[in-house]
Amino acid sequence: MHKIKSTNATRLLFFVAIGVFFFLLSNRVDELRVYQGATLAMYVVAISSLILLTGYSGQVSLGHGALMAIGGYAAALSHEHFGAPIWICFGIGVLAAGAAGAILGTAAARLSGPYLAGTTLALAVGLPSIANQFTILGGEQGLLFDVGFPPESLGPDFTQYKWYFWIAGLSALISIWWLQNLLRSRYGRTWRAIRGNEVAAELCGIHIGRSKTLAFTVSSGLAGLAGALLAMTISTVSPSAFPLALSFSLLTGAVLSGVSTLPGVMIGALTLVATPEIADVIANRIAASESVATNLPGILVSALLILVVLLVPNGPVEQWRASRIRKSANTHR
Amino acid sequence: MYTFINTVLIGITSGAIYSLMAIALVLVWRSTRVVNFAQAGQALLSTYVGYACIQQFNSFWLALIVSMLAGALIGAFIDAVLMRTLFRRVSHGPIAGVAPIIATLGLLGLIRAGLGLFVGNQDVIIRPPVSNVGYTVAGHTLAFSPLKLVIVSTSIILMIALSILFAKTNLGLSLRAAAFSPEIARLAGVRVDRIRTLGWAIAGAAGAAAGMLQTPNGNGSFSPDSLDFSLLLVFGFIAAVIGGLESLIGAVLGALLLGLVLAFVLTYISGSLVFITAFVLLILVLLIRPQGIIGAKRGRRA
Repeated sequence: MHKIKSTNATRLLFFVAIGVFFFLLSNRVDELRVYQGATLAMYVVAISSLILLTGYSGQVSLGHGALMAIGGYAAALSHEHFGAPIWICFGIGVLAAGAAGAILGTAAARLSGPYLAGTTLALAVGLPSIANQFTILGGEQGLLFDVGFPPESLGPDFTQYKWYFWIAGLSALISIWWLQNLLRSRYGRTWRAIRGNEVAAELCGIHIGRSKTLAFTVSSGLAGLAGALLAMTISTVSPSAFPLALSFSLLTGAVLSGVSTLPGVMIGALTLVATPEIADVIANRIAASESVATNLPGILVSALLILVVLLVPNGPVEQWRASRIRKSANTHR
Repeated sequence: MYTFINTVLIGITSGAIYSLMAIALVLVWRSTRVVNFAQAGQALLSTYVGYACIQQFNSFWLALIVSMLAGALIGAFIDAVLMRTLFRRVSHGPIAGVAPIIATLGLLGLIRAGLGLFVGNQDVIIRPPVSNVGYTVAGHTLAFSPLKLVIVSTSIILMIALSILFAKTNLGLSLRAAAFSPEIARLAGVRVDRIRTLGWAIAGAAGAAAGMLQTPNGNGSFSPDSLDFSLLLVFGFIAAVIGGLESLIGAVLGALLLGLVLAFVLTYISGSLVFITAFVLLILVLLIRPQGIIGAKRGRRA
């Protein structure tokens, strides 16, 4: 089989093709699916930020939901108080979450061991109490975040959800494309070297603590973008929009995607979007009580997380690839 | 002056509870090199067992013992079934280092959602076994009630029992050896796997005690979603980090320090700043003394 050489240009073309495909798709499906598409794109950004962190710097964040919240709040605040255009709000969300990540990372990410995991978990647990502390953040109610109607030039049939989907989809495509390039750059190689062998990497002159902090900062910035996208799709930011369960789900998505493979990210994102629906179907099928309906998604997500870590720890994609390599090695022998 | 004394008393009481949680985390960290984030879930589950026991036999003391036994069983079960499988199966790849942490987090989510499914998400109440009205000294009511005395003394008794176990018994020696160097301990005839499971069991019991004591010390009510247990985990983790994650004494000292600092913030500044203070304290310790307040050796820097 002729293999197309993977260059920057072909990769860019590939991403444009995906974008066009999804654009055409979004004209064919109904409103709910378009909305789910926006959520899917949000999860793609969030999960890829976790993959970057876990797969490329060997750390894990248990509270990425909290960093998403920082991005969402920053975007909403800049929109409400300065009336900034929407794309600047997203940029501010990224910067704010990245800054928070840099501070946390300086404290915890440069240390090996469970420190980053515990610190991020603490942040996620304490998020409501922090949000209630500052009146500017709007307490339990939170803040409104309205990205506005789609521009009129797009025609009268262009719905709000489709507008969300465009924004989220474009953000996801750009961030994944950027991330792929980043991972092929000097920084990506540095992170892979650390992942491979810390001591060897250090002997090559890589500053381990600094690289890990940088990885966490970039990851936080991406999480901030995802948070702003989430705030956009639900039009508000409040502590209850970023529960602890969100961080759990993201981790499940990342593990399912295979923490070291970006292309698998769709698997994780699709699963997260589908889980509430599946839980709904099950709960309806067995005509369950309310407590089943509220707890089933949590059970599914957590059980999936444990099962994947136990059975296919490196993710189904990686597992499949490894077994294929093994098979082809056997046939060539 | 009385405010000051009361603040110290409140700080010591909550510090005693945090220290049980911190001990649980440190024990598991030392034996398995995993910070067990499911400890909050285990404590929650054991506290529900204790609650059921109170409903049945109407005795807090029996319930405390039963819930600690349940906590020990749960801890041992998790290690023997989940963790051993995990360590056997996941030994390579980028996820190997973080898989145990992820698994414990998944377990936390599973326990919480599962409890919500089976017992419901509504609050249940554990009444204090003794009065929670403060002692009166020279016309002033102290913030130290029989209940708080019970909490502090129970914690102290448990800690004394633990230190005797670790310092004076063969079992404690095996526990320390397995934590210090599993390979050498195995050569010396210690059954490291079993000892490890035992460490998880002791940790589960300590966590259960923390859950059982914390609930009546607060407003008495709890549910699978209650923030109190998540906060207990977070404060226990912060206390353990202050103490350097390795040492039991460090964990207790860290917990007392954390309890006192938080009590002073609560009394003299504002109750809403408590969490932020704890978080800032964690960041400061990580920045300045990542090896903990009593760790003299080189910290686990990258």
